[in-house]
Amino acid sequence: MTIEEACFEAISLRDLETMSAAEQDALPFGVVGFGADTIVQRYNATEARMSGLDPSTVLGVPFFDAVAQCMNNFMIAQRFEDEPRIDDIVPYVLTLRMRPTKVRLKLLAEPDMPRRYVLIER
Amino acid sequence: MSEKSSEEQLLEFLYACPVGLIECDLTGDIVMMNPHAMQHLLPLAGQRDAGNLFAALEHHAPELRSLVAAYQPTMGRICDGHRIFVDLGPGRRTQAPRVLACTIVKLGADRLMVTLSEISQQVVQEERLRQADTWFATLLDGVNEYAALAVDRAGVITAANPCFTRQTGFDHVAALGRDLAEVLQSDNTGGDLRLGEQIEIAGRDGWHLQEGWQARANGERYWCQRLVVAQSETDTSPYTGFSVILRDVPRREAAAEDVRRLLTRDHLTGAANRRHFSQAMEREQAHWRELRQSLSLIVLDLDHFKSVNDTYGHPMGDLLLCRVAEVCATLLPPRGIFARLGGEEFGALLPRYDREQALGLAEQMRERIAGILLDTPNGVLTATASLGCATLEEAGGSIDALIKLADERLYAAKQAGRNQVHRLTADAA
Repeated sequence: MTIEEACFEAISLRDLETMSAAEQDALPFGVVGFGADTIVQRYNATEARMSGLDPSTVLGVPFFDAVAQCMNNFMIAQRFEDEPRIDDIVPYVLTLRMRPTKVRLKLLAEPDMPRRYVLIER
Repeated sequence: MSEKSSEEQLLEFLYACPVGLIECDLTGDIVMMNPHAMQHLLPLAGQRDAGNLFAALEHHAPELRSLVAAYQPTMGRICDGHRIFVDLGPGRRTQAPRVLACTIVKLGADRLMVTLSEISQQVVQEERLRQADTWFATLLDGVNEYAALAVDRAGVITAANPCFTRQTGFDHVAALGRDLAEVLQSDNTGGDLRLGEQIEIAGRDGWHLQEGWQARANGERYWCQRLVVAQSETDTSPYTGFSVILRDVPRREAAAEDVRRLLTRDHLTGAANRRHFSQAMEREQAHWRELRQSLSLIVLDLDHFKSVNDTYGHPMGDLLLCRVAEVCATLLPPRGIFARLGGEEFGALLPRYDREQALGLAEQMRERIAGILLDTPNGVLTATASLGCATLEEAGGSIDALIKLADERLYAAKQAGRNQVHRLTADAA
């Protein structure tokens, strides 16, 4: 899959897993990949630009507790606990750089894949 | 570490902050907020705009908008730890009902700083402490002075100790075999459950504790703590009867009563205030769900009140409001609550009242208000009111729908010529 093909709607968890870090960085939307423990393993350059955070400070921290508390409710974080398989797009409001920002979130999880993803489109 | 810019450090700090921080203007439009604030705000906003504080909280804390609007100084603390009770009903039993604390500080003519934090567990702890406190405080006073009774599943007394006689004046031997609810007439208690209702809840939850007025055999009343505990023979069998324990407790101290009055009463009229009324509605709604007894609401609005203020002056208008609250409060049934809901709008919440009873009471209120005569320097001042009634059954169990329905009927009474109680056409026929 080329980057041109990797549109927000169509991209799958498996597509993301086959991409290199540089390829993920080139995507036009934010990519955050994390384990079952919510520890961040992937944080692409687009997301770093939007949030104003350096990826090195985000990698290795629990995502919903330390970075994305605004998603730490039944609408997002709870779903990753309750649903082993998610492929859904939801409208949401984030606080990127502390400003309320309307976004679309894509939530991706599969039972046999160790990493889950939240994709953020402004 | 040193590679990180100070802006990054600051952002990181704000992203991780476990308290909600919001900056907005006086209309509630949010300029900045941290993720923790959004964590709470977005689920409450529903379809409304999460980018405006008041819009997002309209459903759960409409008072914030008016608190801010009513605050005159250009700077200062508008509210401090103001509690937002997110869950109206008892909610899922596995979780504490969600409560947020909101502090608003005005920093300039059009600038507010707001904090939001969750205090659900703290509120649960307070409630437990309060219950334990009321119970154990009197344990120290006199450990033997409690009346203990056993009743069977039908409420018939199967055992009673001598203290029952000392406390209530009823003979504990003669009481055997009688229905406890008949012996203990506690119908005139304040906002409390009847014994039968307590037994029903104890049958389901295992126990129920409450405080309230209780009548002695000689008619005198005393402040009584009443604990009802379900009894069963074995751990697994269903309950076979109940233990009922009664304590005669001295009434709370006057100072505490003053504080309670301050928190629950409208400053001008002495009627219950909105907050107290809404808490009572929540409590009664929970009782309604548990016990399925009727619950009615009357809303009333004085007719042409603005012209009263214009013609006779605000002090006379205020006096009229006080008289209305006074005459209506005297008509209230034992568990009823009469509250000032707005400028010249009042509400009466009536547990165990069906629609017909509520309509009857509303008509009495209308008559009594129409009978008010106030001597003023500009002649005699009279008043009339329009009223609407609704029951929680009609509203499908929703408090919001109940208020809306009663308001619509109040409005219909106004449209139909004022000084009347709205009746459905079927009633009039």
